Amino acid sequence: MDAGVLAQYAFNGLMLGVIYAMVAVGFTLFFGVLDVIQFGHGDVVMAGAFVGLATYLGLGALGIAVPAFAVIVVACAAGFTMALAGAFIARYLVLPLRTAPAFNTLLVTLMLGSVLRELVRLFYPNGSNPQPFPRLLPAAAINLGNFTLRLDSTILLVTGLVTIFVVNLIVRRTRLGLAIRAVAQDSETARVVGIDFERVVLVTFAIGSALAGIAGIVYGLYYNEVNFDIGLLLGVIGFSAAVVGGLGSIYGAILGGFLFAALQTIGSVALPVSSAYNNVFAFAIVIMLITWKPTGLIAEPASERV
Amino acid sequence: MTFGGLTALDALDLDVAGGEILGLIGPNGSGKTTFFNVLTGLYRPRAGRVEFAGRDITGLAAQKVFRAGIARTFQRSRLCLPLTVFDNLMIGNHVRLQRHLAFNVLRRGALRREFDANVEASRALVATFNRRLATRLFDAASALDMIDRRRVEICRALVSAPRLLLLDEPSAGMTHGETRELMDDLLQVRAARAELTIVIIEHEMNVIERMTERCVVLNYGEKIAEGPFHAVAADPRVQEAYFGQATA
Amino acid sequence: MRRVAATDRRARSVSASGLVAVVVGIAACGAWLWAFLATDRVWLVAALLVVAAIAFVLVPRVDAVGAYRDAFARHRRVAVALSALAVLGVGVALYDQPYPLLMLCTVLLFIVPCIGLTIQTGYAGIVNFAGAAFFGTGAYTAAVLASRHVPHLAGIVAGGVVAALVGSLLILPMLRTRGYYAALVTIAFGILFSTFLEVNNALGGPQGLKLPGIDLVGWKFNRDVAVGGERASFYVNYVVLSLALALAAFVFARRVERSWVGLAFDAVRLDETAAAAFGIDIARAKILAFTLGNFLCGIAGAVYSMMQGFIAPNNFTFGESLILVSIVILGGLGNPLGLVPAALVIVVVPQKLQFIQEYRFLLYGVLVILVVLFRPEGLLPRRAREYFAGTLR
Repeated sequence: MDAGVLAQYAFNGLMLGVIYAMVAVGFTLFFGVLDVIQFGHGDVVMAGAFVGLATYLGLGALGIAVPAFAVIVVACAAGFTMALAGAFIARYLVLPLRTAPAFNTLLVTLMLGSVLRELVRLFYPNGSNPQPFPRLLPAAAINLGNFTLRLDSTILLVTGLVTIFVVNLIVRRTRLGLAIRAVAQDSETARVVGIDFERVVLVTFAIGSALAGIAGIVYGLYYNEVNFDIGLLLGVIGFSAAVVGGLGSIYGAILGGFLFAALQTIGSVALPVSSAYNNVFAFAIVIMLITWKPTGLIAEPASERV
Repeated sequence: MTFGGLTALDALDLDVAGGEILGLIGPNGSGKTTFFNVLTGLYRPRAGRVEFAGRDITGLAAQKVFRAGIARTFQRSRLCLPLTVFDNLMIGNHVRLQRHLAFNVLRRGALRREFDANVEASRALVATFNRRLATRLFDAASALDMIDRRRVEICRALVSAPRLLLLDEPSAGMTHGETRELMDDLLQVRAARAELTIVIIEHEMNVIERMTERCVVLNYGEKIAEGPFHAVAADPRVQEAYFGQATA
Repeated sequence: MRRVAATDRRARSVSASGLVAVVVGIAACGAWLWAFLATDRVWLVAALLVVAAIAFVLVPRVDAVGAYRDAFARHRRVAVALSALAVLGVGVALYDQPYPLLMLCTVLLFIVPCIGLTIQTGYAGIVNFAGAAFFGTGAYTAAVLASRHVPHLAGIVAGGVVAALVGSLLILPMLRTRGYYAALVTIAFGILFSTFLEVNNALGGPQGLKLPGIDLVGWKFNRDVAVGGERASFYVNYVVLSLALALAAFVFARRVERSWVGLAFDAVRLDETAAAAFGIDIARAKILAFTLGNFLCGIAGAVYSMMQGFIAPNNFTFGESLILVSIVILGGLGNPLGLVPAALVIVVVPQKLQFIQEYRFLLYGVLVILVVLFRPEGLLPRRAREYFAGTLR
């Protein structure tokens, strides 16, 4: 196979990996701090993309058309609104069910995802059809044989990696991050030493959801199209990636995200079936990986006190 | 038996004679519950052998260990709280029940007879323990207080007529009065089944003193003393394990 | 001698009044159901819903309810038979109205996979978000077999069997994973199933497959029935079949729950470690529950597909699995009786109130969220195991 085509596949895989990693980091943060899986997280990504889209259209209506400015406003709008949404979800849906069986939280967050999907499908103009996402990044490109290195894709890749890096920095190096890690390790003791448990949870959900919102923008800018049901696939793969890397570990989530993207890319290159089977393949991998390593490739298995 | 880098049990040689009541004591973290867990198949030991009634049961699954005749209670109460007392007891008796789907769905008359027989037997068992509790057979376990729940747990372990009964801190969380009541009940049950072998893990020394004929002391996964309670209590190594080194 | 006779007489009169209460109660429900299905008028639908809501809120607070429940328990067989008769009666009363009959059949046929999910999740604690996939497996099996002229009864049973077999593909993941991970596996499988059907043209692709109506030992279901001088809609045939299926599933699930098998399921759900320590075979229990549930989903799917005459991959998506789960949660996890009002709410109300039809997925989601937050035990909470009538004392 031509090196250029391979390079193109590899780059696509990297982009996919960054997006999956951004989603997976959210899952892992939520699990770390509250032992909870927010099954609607993928749909938060989708909601962020649509908020960004609406913001862009709003800017257009106001006559503002400078792309560089627009892209920053769009990204900030998505990140900010999803941060608020995340805090709302934590405060009213997840925290109240802290003492209930885990199945209840599972249901509530799953239904939340469904509600988000339907809200967009029903109330966004023409919501049941794919929406074109504007090209807001410079379109310069370098041709290297069959491989076209585009500036906008590179910017997106870098942006994705930078946001993950920033989140990791927050968690590893700030006082807030210290509080998050303390709550993740032992919420009882964290409370005893004066950490505001609820506030930490809300902030964690806000950070994870903001990351998801920005991931939605990255998705939209890369594929130039968003659809109301992209959240389901992203959520399932993001969750699986976080699990495979070990729930609670940010590095694991990143690794898992890129691993999944690699598997999907290799699958679409190597298997002689049509690209329509891509998703089938992806989900089959999910099932097999979870079966093989139910507790992840990195983290230790949790042990229960008998 | 190791957990990661921590050796929880190391070269523990223990013999239990049939029909005796053995106490297993030691400071927190000395490996007592781990020992029970290895015995009952919840953990696999890295090395060593477990022999029961002439049979090697090392590394067998928990279900097989139970069928061999070893039943236990847990340090943390593990009753199914939404279920009734009778349901909990029948979980303990499950291996002796007719478990085939066809029987349970189609032969309701025969199931009824088995049900009635087991209700009778459960009432009798619980009554030997505590007459009042026997009238509450169909109350939810969640409606019982702590000491009644402990009684039900011990009954659940006894209902299948095991040969070896492992009790893990039966008096945990109870007042002195409640503990004394529970010990009275246990001695009563023991009186009715002289051939039952019991191993009790306890922190409450009154229980050990009163109930056991012999005890074994663990520290850091090793046996450091063995013998009747009074002898063991006076042993300087045991005292050091519990209280630390004497100064001067 | 006289005192015994007096006690006997009192017991008999209590029993008789209990029986009357049962008959009256079931008749009232039957009348409600008939009115609810038959009407087109929004105000009547709303009124009936309000009456039902009041009943649900008030009845538990009335002292007599305990006695009422006892009456039902004591006259259990009569109650079940009468309920079946009541539903049949409603079907007969609607004999010439195909649309309400179709709704009745759909409700009955949705209750069956929900009973399957109840066995899996409510009893054994196995999370299954791929119920629609197993329902669809039964549907497609029936379609394929019917096109090869396999007798329809065999095709329906085969639908259940194939669904159970497909479920066995997930056994290893289900046994090795717990909680969230198990949920993920079934979600992934559900999406994989409908996506696979859409891409794979061997099974009709996105256009779907057509099916003939049921033909049971010569009795063609898709032919209107002439009785006396009247013509009854052919859906009456399906009402009888669906009712029989729902009744069988209900009695089966109740017998499973009120037995040592149901007890093992509960033990596995509530505390696997303790269950294993007392000799219960965890794997066997989970496999049994999962297989039984999937079988029920498959059978119902087979009958449903032949009734509809046409199936497509987008009938069996993750969204449909969520509908089934919504019915189970709304009804009260672990109580098959609760599935009846829940299915009526989720299946029929959007049809009756056409203006919410388009928003129904959104409303289901919000409804389940509210139920889980504020009344997690559902409409009819699960009660303590009463192995046989009157044994909870």
